[in-house]
Order: sequence, then structure tokens, then C-alpha cells
Amino acid sequence: MSLVIESRKLKRTGYLPAFLAGGALAAAFPVVYMMAKAEEMTSLSGNPLAILMSANWQMMAMLNVLVSICGACMMYHTEYADNGMQKMSALPVRQGNLFFGKFVIAALVLSAMVVLETAVLAGCAEYWFPGYVLDRAEAVKTAGFQIAVTLPTVMLMLVIASACRNMWISLGIGVILVFTLSVFPQDNEVLSLFPFASPYQTFAAAVENGRAPLFVTACGIETVLFGIVEVIYLKVRRWSA
Amino acid sequence: MYIIETQNLTKTYGDFTAVSRLNLHIRKGSVYGFLGPNGAGKSTTMKLFLGLTRPTDGSFQIDGKTYPLDRVSILKEVGSFIEAPAFYGNLTGEENLDIIRKILGLPKSCVDDALELVGLTEFRKRLAKKYSLGMKQRLGLAGALIGRPPILILDEPTNGLDPVGIHEIRTLIRSLPRKYDCTVLVSSHLLPEVELMADDIGILNHGRLLFEGTMEDLKRSAGTAGFPTDNLEDTFLAVIDEDNRRRGGAL
Repeated sequence: MSLVIESRKLKRTGYLPAFLAGGALAAAFPVVYMMAKAEEMTSLSGNPLAILMSANWQMMAMLNVLVSICGACMMYHTEYADNGMQKMSALPVRQGNLFFGKFVIAALVLSAMVVLETAVLAGCAEYWFPGYVLDRAEAVKTAGFQIAVTLPTVMLMLVIASACRNMWISLGIGVILVFTLSVFPQDNEVLSLFPFASPYQTFAAAVENGRAPLFVTACGIETVLFGIVEVIYLKVRRWSA
Repeated sequence: MYIIETQNLTKTYGDFTAVSRLNLHIRKGSVYGFLGPNGAGKSTTMKLFLGLTRPTDGSFQIDGKTYPLDRVSILKEVGSFIEAPAFYGNLTGEENLDIIRKILGLPKSCVDDALELVGLTEFRKRLAKKYSLGMKQRLGLAGALIGRPPILILDEPTNGLDPVGIHEIRTLIRSLPRKYDCTVLVSSHLLPEVELMADDIGILNHGRLLFEGTMEDLKRSAGTAGFPTDNLEDTFLAVIDEDNRRRGGAL
């Protein structure tokens, strides 16, 4: 039920159009890139999908993260702007359930974006790399991995947004985190596991380094951990009010 | 029989005591007027009843249910309107009420009923952010009245309404116990309004309950103490003034 309620609250907020536009922009990036650098890219040896991911994913992941940040801020702005959240607190519904309803929506729209982007990457590989036959299992694994490594960022951003009445503060914190953690060295085993840094990892690189299971496990734990942090925060906020 | 009862209910914020050893007794099926100057602890008490803040000490029961054990169960029975209208500006009045209806598990007809009760049917499709202050106030009231809960907690429900709106809401509140067998706890700064709609009143000052009882009890006790009894406003001001003098403060 929380999911239905949370999705209704997003009506007319521009949430879905923002994600659609972000997804379309990110998906257009490899197309434009290949139009400009097709010759250079096709001369490289290796799996075409991995080549395209390695060339484009940094920018695409950044767009995904920025759109997720905006989405989290929009979700909580609607809660705080006209005291909607206060009304929810006085109704027989657990605040934690509403938060997780928001997370599921954010995770679903992120998944839709990543699936669209992976499909476009696969399409580019088929179009520009002669003789390339798409391995669907590989494409599915790639999309699944990219979603999994982005989920801690989505969850943490929702936690931050839920704590800030002023949308501009949560937006500012999100943008600062994006730019701070994106400069972390991607080959550092520990730093690359942090939220806001992990979305830049690509499936092909993680498999090559034998770190794919580590990323999926660590990001799963981080996602759960941030969820627990939110539940504790909600309890503390209620008790200290 | 008391539907809301408190025992030494206390709420402190650091050194400041917002509510001090409060013992309220609200009769089932009555309209209870909660009076007090700004900062007296009226809203804090109402927030305590809704579990929006935790008591520092003491306890309370609502319809036999105890906080915090039965918090969700209490909220199912209580319609509330606290401090200011709370809604989602991006949704229409009808959509706002539909969210509340879904949470409470009520039939769809409850939305129409609530809109009708507060006179917002005509503006049901308008975005809540485009409502006037009075309409927002009515929407907040509709959110409290939806499903006709057995207990209503209304904090300054007539704020921002024009005289006609005040009259309508007062008449509505006054009629609720008889029509729907509900109990209303209502706070207001408009003392004549409370005089016209409340069966019982409680006067709060600096978190302490100075008086509780019927309007006749208040007149009697004020008369005995030598306070004016012509109207509630004069009596109220005299009671508060006396308490402030006793505490060594100024009014």
C-alpha cells in the first residue's frame, strides 16, 4: 500500500519526466560518442559492450546519480513544502514503510534508466561493431550489476533528503558528495565501494578484476545498512521531537 | 466516562517545561475547549496525544488505549488537525483526502462526505496549493473528519477563516457529538467561539491546568474568587492574570 500512496504523492511533481529525460540524455551519450569516434573505438580489441561501457559509463553513471539525487530531493520536498509529512505522522502508518515505499520507487525508476541505457549501449555495439552478436545474458548481468552498485547511493540520498527540510541543503550535500567521491581512485578496493563512488564501476572491469561478487555483496550490505540507519533516525526524530 | 484521560502528563524541553503534571478528563461525546495563551502547552498536549512527541513523564489513555503501546490503534480512532493545515500542494483537495482514505482503509465515498462536510465539494479538483488560506484550513479539517472518527483533536481550527467560515465550522463542531457520537478536543484563541461550542473547558497556563470543568463550574469558581463572570474572555484573562501574578511574572 505504501508504494501506491508514495506513487500518488509524486503526481505533478515532474519526478517521472525528470527520470525519463535523464535516462534519455544518458542513453544518447554513447550514440553521440560513437558518431564522433566510431573509427577509433571499432579498432580496439575486446568485447564491444565492454569497450562502450568503459568509454561512456563514467558520464552515464554521473547522470544517473545526479537524477537520483534530484529525485530524492523532489520526493521529500513534496513532503516538507506544505507539511504533508506532518499529516502522515498523525495517521496510522509507519514512517519507515513510507520511506521504503519511496526507495522502491526510486530503485524502479533507476532500473528503468539503466535498462534503457544498457539497451542503447548494446544497440550501439551491434550497429557499429561488424559481426558482433549480442549476448543477452551478458547484457542482463551488466544492467543488474550497474543497478546493484547504484542502489546504496539512491538509499543514502533518500536518507539525506529525509533529514533536510530545505531541499537545497540536501541537493547541495548530494552534489558535493558526487564530486568529492567521483575523484576517488576507481582502482582502490576500499574507496570504490563507497556510495557515490561505486556507481562508476563497470561490470566488465569488475569481472576482469574478480571483484564483481565483492561489489554486489558490499553494495547490498550498504543498502540494507542505510535503510536501518533511516529507521533508527526516524525513531530518534520522533522521540526527540 | 472519560474517553481521554491523562495522569501527571509532563513534557520538558531541556530546562523549559511545556506541559506540567497535567490531569485532563475529557468526557465521551463532549466538546472540550482547550484554552490558554500562546506557549501555554495546548499544542504540545495535542501532539502528545498523537504520538508526535514523547511525554517526559506521566501517562495518558485514549479510549482505554495506552501510549506508546497502542499508538497506531489510537491514531486509527483520532482525526486530527494540528497547528496548520498539512497537505500535498501538488495534489487536488480530493487527491489529498484520497491518500488519507487509503491509509485509513475507508470506502471511497468517505472523500465526498468529508468534502461535503467542510463545503469544499465545488473545489475538489483544484490543486491544494492554489487554495485560499480558508480553503486550506477546511481541507485540513476534512482530513481530520474523514471517516467520521470517534475522537477529533483540533488545534485552532478556525484560524484564517472569515466570520462566515468561523460560524460554519463552529456549527459543524458543535453538531458532531450529537450527529456522529464523537468527542472533540478543540483549542482556540477565540474565547467567544469556545464559549459557544464547548461543553467543558480546560484552562492552561505555563503548562499547568488552572481550571477544568463546565462553563457553569468556571463561573461559580470565578465568582467565588472574585473574578468577573460576565463573559468567558474576562474570566479567562482574570484567571491567567492571577496565575501569572502568583508565579511572579507579568501578563
